[in-house]
Amino acid sequence: MQDKIILLPIIIPLFFGLMVFTVPKGFRAAKETLAFLATFLNLLIAIALFKSNISFSLPWAGLGLEFSLRLYNFSAFIILSIATFGFLIALYSIVFMRDKPSLKQFYAYFLITLSLASGVVLADNLVIMLFFWEGLLLTLFGMIYIGKKEAFKTATKAFIIVGIADLCLMVGIALTGHLSGTLAISQINLPLDALGSIAFILLMIGAISKAGSMPFHSWIPDAAIDAPLPFMALIPAAFEKLLGIYFLTRISMDMFRLTAGSWVSVLLMSIGAITIILAVMMALIQKDYKKLLSYHAISQVGYMILGIGTALPVGIIGGLFHMINNALYKSCLFLTGGSVEKSTGTANLEQLGGIGVKMPVTFACFIITAVSISGVPPFNGFFSKELVYDAALERGLIFYLAAVVGSFFTAASFLKLGHAAFLGKLSEKNKSVKEVSFAMLLPMIIIALLCVIFGVFNSLPIGLIQPILGKERLAGHNYSGFPSNAWLVIITIIVLLGALLNHIWGVKNKGSGLKAVDHIHYAPVLSVIYDRAEKRFFDPYEIGVKIAHGFSRIGFLFDRGIDWIYDNLTVKLTFAFTDQIKKLHNGNYSTYLIWSLAGLVLIIIFLI
Amino acid sequence: MYSSLILLPFFGVIVLNLPFRALMKKCAFWLCLSIVLFQICLILFPQICCFSDKLDALGSFFKFDFAVDSLSRVMLFCIGIVLFTALFVQRNNCEDEDKIFNFANVSLLILCGMNGVVMVKDIFSLYVFLEITAVSSFILIAFNKESVAFEGAFKYIILSAVATVLMLAAIALFLVISGDTGFSAISSALKVSQGRFFIGFAVGIFLCACFIKSGLVPFHGWVPDAYSSAPASVSVLLAGVVTKTVGIYTLIRIVNSIFGFGDPIKHLLLAVGAISIVVGALAALGQKDIKRMLAYSSISQVGYIVIGLGTGTALGLTGAIFHLFNHSIFKSLLFVNSAAVESETGTRDMDKLSGLAKKMPLTGITSILGSLSCAGIPPLAGFWSKLIIIIALWVSGFRGYAIIAVLASVLTLAYFLSWQRSVFFGILKEDLANVKEAGFGLVFPALILAVIIVGVGIFFPLFINSFALPIENILGG
Repeated sequence: MQDKIILLPIIIPLFFGLMVFTVPKGFRAAKETLAFLATFLNLLIAIALFKSNISFSLPWAGLGLEFSLRLYNFSAFIILSIATFGFLIALYSIVFMRDKPSLKQFYAYFLITLSLASGVVLADNLVIMLFFWEGLLLTLFGMIYIGKKEAFKTATKAFIIVGIADLCLMVGIALTGHLSGTLAISQINLPLDALGSIAFILLMIGAISKAGSMPFHSWIPDAAIDAPLPFMALIPAAFEKLLGIYFLTRISMDMFRLTAGSWVSVLLMSIGAITIILAVMMALIQKDYKKLLSYHAISQVGYMILGIGTALPVGIIGGLFHMINNALYKSCLFLTGGSVEKSTGTANLEQLGGIGVKMPVTFACFIITAVSISGVPPFNGFFSKELVYDAALERGLIFYLAAVVGSFFTAASFLKLGHAAFLGKLSEKNKSVKEVSFAMLLPMIIIALLCVIFGVFNSLPIGLIQPILGKERLAGHNYSGFPSNAWLVIITIIVLLGALLNHIWGVKNKGSGLKAVDHIHYAPVLSVIYDRAEKRFFDPYEIGVKIAHGFSRIGFLFDRGIDWIYDNLTVKLTFAFTDQIKKLHNGNYSTYLIWSLAGLVLIIIFLI
Repeated sequence: MYSSLILLPFFGVIVLNLPFRALMKKCAFWLCLSIVLFQICLILFPQICCFSDKLDALGSFFKFDFAVDSLSRVMLFCIGIVLFTALFVQRNNCEDEDKIFNFANVSLLILCGMNGVVMVKDIFSLYVFLEITAVSSFILIAFNKESVAFEGAFKYIILSAVATVLMLAAIALFLVISGDTGFSAISSALKVSQGRFFIGFAVGIFLCACFIKSGLVPFHGWVPDAYSSAPASVSVLLAGVVTKTVGIYTLIRIVNSIFGFGDPIKHLLLAVGAISIVVGALAALGQKDIKRMLAYSSISQVGYIVIGLGTGTALGLTGAIFHLFNHSIFKSLLFVNSAAVESETGTRDMDKLSGLAKKMPLTGITSILGSLSCAGIPPLAGFWSKLIIIIALWVSGFRGYAIIAVLASVLTLAYFLSWQRSVFFGILKEDLANVKEAGFGLVFPALILAVIIVGVGIFFPLFINSFALPIENILGG
């Protein structure tokens, strides 16, 4: 009976989520209380479950489909992270969402998402996992949809992109089940042969698209504009990274024997490297607080995929550490964005500036998380990035260079963002801006502190992550503490200084923080590419939509052609015959008599 | 006991014309109706009519040679139900007691004639009853003494006279060849006879006579005029059973019992059937007058029956007779609907009508059921009979004809849908704002017929066991 406690992280948020639906209109406080209570209870359960090992199984559909859940060090770690973010962002939302529409739907989807995410992490059967995974697609759609009036288009875009990736996942699950003969995740152990590689890549597509990697990213920047902000902090910044990278780690570590040097590993690393560079280049030129962050949310995934793709212990630890770090600072950054938007009413950098004085706590949280994401020692981002660099360098210089260049642009874009939003001249409109309320500040402060703690005392998180790999892989190494390779640290610091110099030069040249990177934006070749990218020329979704439109255009013409045959040709032919027949029936009985006699003669001739 | 079906109407006419006219005028309608109901009951529940054995003794005075098989029973039922409908329509449309009295008189005559046609088993008696039916129907078409009706009746008379002459000549030839007029005697004589020329000639002119009476292309000239100019009740009667009995039933009976399904006859029937289907459907598509459209539709549907017969297989014959039954039901229903529209709006011109479904819901619904059954839409009765015919054509190798039959049913749907759209759907025209639902006499039979259409369609599996399978046994009999 003890093992049924494992169901609680799924049942409690789900129950409260459904309760929220029943709350009548106008009882705002009731919905907020329910959300707070659910996330708080969930957090307590997650803490209670931490460090325990539980397997739970119920017979379900037969055919090897059992409702089996498994809690062990890895999933318990993710469950705790999910519960923590769920609680903090619920706390933030209570103030932030207060005057927004569709409150009921927001909290209901929020809690159901929490439940489904826990389900994904706990599931020990691929089909059960798929069930929760697909459920997330629905709440994702719902949460984007309630954002703004125009959000429907973005929600559809997200739905289609994630849906296609989930379809790949589904096929991958079927193939994996076929190859291994079981659907129980903990029993699958496949080599990466021809079919195995296909299965792995299909599952990988599901995982990295959930994490928001290229080329499945393009809904995230759109959602940053349209969806409610806590959604961005919760889903693309935290949950999707946790789930996507969790599943990617599971498939590459446990379910398939991914080895360093295999082509699949190179493929993963390439995806990671390309995602880092392209997304950060896009982030650099954004003029919207939230949109800029959303591109970073994509770019940071690249580091995780790169780290895990190396298939080296140091890389995997780096990737997982980066996952948890990113979830921390990225959600906090989104929350600072929300605070700025709440206070000033806009997230457009052109209308911001100088509000750091007015909102000191938010600014401080921003600074901490921004230096974390840029990888400045001794904050958490620095340590996880160093681990990834280490692994990338071992696998190939090109991957390392991509990661370092990404780091340069990350730092540059956050210098620009911080400068443009918090420093510089305070505009007239923002004179009366005040700091946000304590309930909104608290989550930000907690997360910012965690960023510092995870950096300074990095043995704490790494101590939790290392057991996940198992003693065999670690082979006695300990990756916590200061990076072992001093050269890498020196190069990192040089790169960061370079970013700072670049910023200072840019500001001097153009005279404002916002335009600090214009010299990159409008560089000869880049400006053309940027122009096209901003017009969504390179958006895989838009390209897909164009191809689909092409097909539908052809189909339409074909259909018109058939329609013409039906509507014009046959009708005209038919009526031509009809008119002739009508003319023949002239009402004169002698005519009819002649027909009859002619018929008679013909028949007699035929019969004789 | 079946002889009572001829004797009752016959004596009915005599009783009606006895000297106390005033009394008889009052009860003429009811007398006629009760005879018709008796006929329907007798077919549906043969076991309840044991008392009619006594009538059989009466029948022995009259020398008729009767044979009632499953085909005859289907026809007797159709005759009963359609005449029942026609009586209601006539009573609804006409207040004049004299006219109802006259109508009841002629109805009884035509009932006597048709019952005789479907029960006799010698060719001369068949001819006699055919003539009784034909003459009664001339009278009925011109019943209202309108000039168009005279014209329609006249065309019918002229072509019918040709058919009569042909038929009589054929009978004379058969008599010469076989020395007898019984079906079986002629049949066996034809098999052994050497005179191929005479036989071919006799068979040819007899078939032509049947084609004229059934209104098949190119012998159909009289059909649109006669159907559309006759009074509503007579249109119901003519389209529903009269032409089916005197034409199609005779054709089925003669081909099945006397001529047999030789290859030339099969091909002749298939060709005439296919031409009728296509020409009838195309012509119906161009009509603006509801009744004319229904008349052309009749030609087309009769084509289906003949094409089914033309396969010469048990399945095709079953389909043909089933379609004959269905056609009687849905075509009478549609003529009742057209009568309802005409009596409420005063016109049959489709261009002048629109949106009547709101004002005449029952008429609208029943007419949709009738149309869809005619077009062969599942699960209505017409679908099953067309399906059987098309399957029979396909399996017996006449695939081209099967395709024609399928394509033509699209045309059928086209003209019925355009009828429904222009008359019942759409926006109600202003001058039709005061239209009401038609009277009881038009709605009640329509509902009964619609129930039959839906019931037969839905309970088709039950129906095929009790109805269709016995028909197979008459093949070649």
